[in-house]
Amino acid sequence: MIKEHKESRLKEEVLHVISFMLNERQVTCKIKSSTVLLDLIRDHFSLKGTKPGCYEGECGACTVLINEAPVNSCLYLAVNANGKNITTIEGLVKSDGTLHPVQESLIEHGAIQCGFCTSGMAMSIKALMNQYENAQHVPGDIRIEIPTRNEIKKYLEGNLCRCTGYVKIIDAAEQLFAKEDQ
Amino acid sequence: MDFEIINPATTLELLGTINELQSKHFRFGAGYSDLLMELKKKPEENLVVINLSQIKDTAFTGLTISPDHVRMGAMVTAHKIVMNEQLNKDYPVLHQAALTLASTQIRQVATVGGNLCTASPSGDIACALVALIAHCEIMDSTGKTKSIPITDFFLGPRKTVIKKNEFLNGVLVSANNKLSKNIYSAFLKIGTRRSMECSVVSLAYHIQTDDDGDIIHAGVAIGASAPTIRFAKDACDYLIGKRFDHIHQKEKEEFATKVLSYADPITDIRATAWYRKEVLYNLSKSIFE
Ligand SMILES: Cc1cc2nc3c(=O)[nH]c(=O)nc-3n(C[C@H](O)[C@H](O)[C@H](O)COP(=O)(O)OP(=O)(O)OC[C@H]3O[C@@H](n4cnc5c(N)ncnc54)[C@H](O)[C@@H]3O)c2cc1C
Ligand code: FES
Ligand code: FES
Repeated sequence: MIKEHKESRLKEEVLHVISFMLNERQVTCKIKSSTVLLDLIRDHFSLKGTKPGCYEGECGACTVLINEAPVNSCLYLAVNANGKNITTIEGLVKSDGTLHPVQESLIEHGAIQCGFCTSGMAMSIKALMNQYENAQHVPGDIRIEIPTRNEIKKYLEGNLCRCTGYVKIIDAAEQLFAKEDQ
Repeated sequence: MDFEIINPATTLELLGTINELQSKHFRFGAGYSDLLMELKKKPEENLVVINLSQIKDTAFTGLTISPDHVRMGAMVTAHKIVMNEQLNKDYPVLHQAALTLASTQIRQVATVGGNLCTASPSGDIACALVALIAHCEIMDSTGKTKSIPITDFFLGPRKTVIKKNEFLNGVLVSANNKLSKNIYSAFLKIGTRRSMECSVVSLAYHIQTDDDGDIIHAGVAIGASAPTIRFAKDACDYLIGKRFDHIHQKEKEEFATKVLSYADPITDIRATAWYRKEVLYNLSKSIFE
């Protein structure tokens, strides 16, 4: 009995110190082994823009960028954030408050209703822009052309929206690439 | 969900950790897209997770293409497979399987090792690798490796041959036959939704023909149709020597019947056993249509 008690106390005490870039700011914190990145971002750093939807990797509301790539933060262990570069929806906005073109485009197209999916959508669209912009740099990788409407749809399959019917969200994304083409 | 985590940074440290933990209950964690869901549904007591995702060794994380084979470290992600031009060209079945796996976000983290070791009958990358008759490179805690054909890897749902002191280090796929002129290779997945779905049935095939159009190599695997992914050997043998573009209706039916003889599907929330068989039969015929 005593031994068990000791063991469970030990368990609680094991914390990991991690350090990473969060929206271009170096941060350090102590976490439990099983903490997921979504909870860390929302509860420890009070960045509430990243939404908890299903906690099962299904809805994409919790999407953040890890080293520029989109990941479900609900299924990502915070331990593995150590040393990485993490961007949340709050990191898209410039320090003077100017919105990112992805956000502008979503607003312009009326692609937001209740807004619960919006941060995740914005992060996924931003990730697709990153992939497109960085495409030419990785040897052996498929060359990426400007994504077609169907490719945009395929890319956003992991982001569910219960309100808009998707058309306006896809319009918003498509227009960003049309702009890049000019 | 609660567990302790250990983060080895090299394969050597990993071996040490496995040795130290032999008397404890531990699991490996790679991309965590299966493991976290499993632990949330069914927490395990006194669990230690050995985190594979901070190991830097390229044998574990890299993808190398040499003249006689492709080697993927266990930590190669579905995203990495999708993005590789050579794999897309030489093994369309693998490219397509990786591309239909879950979503953009999950493909970033989901690994080849996780897809194989979770041993789900509906694992997409696993199904493609069975059709490609890949070899699994298993390492034990002394650092010794052995290579076994993937057809011997799965023992049942969620069960593989990997023992407690072992882990999957990588996967090898042989280069295509030097005489092969055309490759007919694809991954067909039927789900109740187009994406993000465990398949109702899946069929992976990789068929090579020579200059005359005769089939010189055939690999066909079925997913979500039996307790494990299965290699349809009789169906593959049946094709050898036939002209790919001259397969008659009767032969298509015989081929599909042979594929179906490997199926032993269940009825569950996604589909009935009857439906799975019908779909599989028609998918098999569709290869030649
Ligand atoms: C929303 C959602 C949708 C999904 N859709 C699909 C889908 O369409 N198709 C599909 O095939 N899968 C799907 N999956 C399942 C999952 O994403 C894949 O099986 C994935 O490849 C698992 O890889 P991982 O690296 O995340 O594995 P993990 O979760 O890290 O590990 C899975 C298992 O393998 C073991 N393991 C991992 N690596 C090793 C190793 N090197 N040696 C020994 N053991 C190891 C772990 O201990 C664990 O038991 C989905 C999952 C989610 C959450
Ligand atoms: S909360 Fe992460 S995918 Fe739904
Ligand atoms: S706007 Fe409500 S879920 Fe998308």
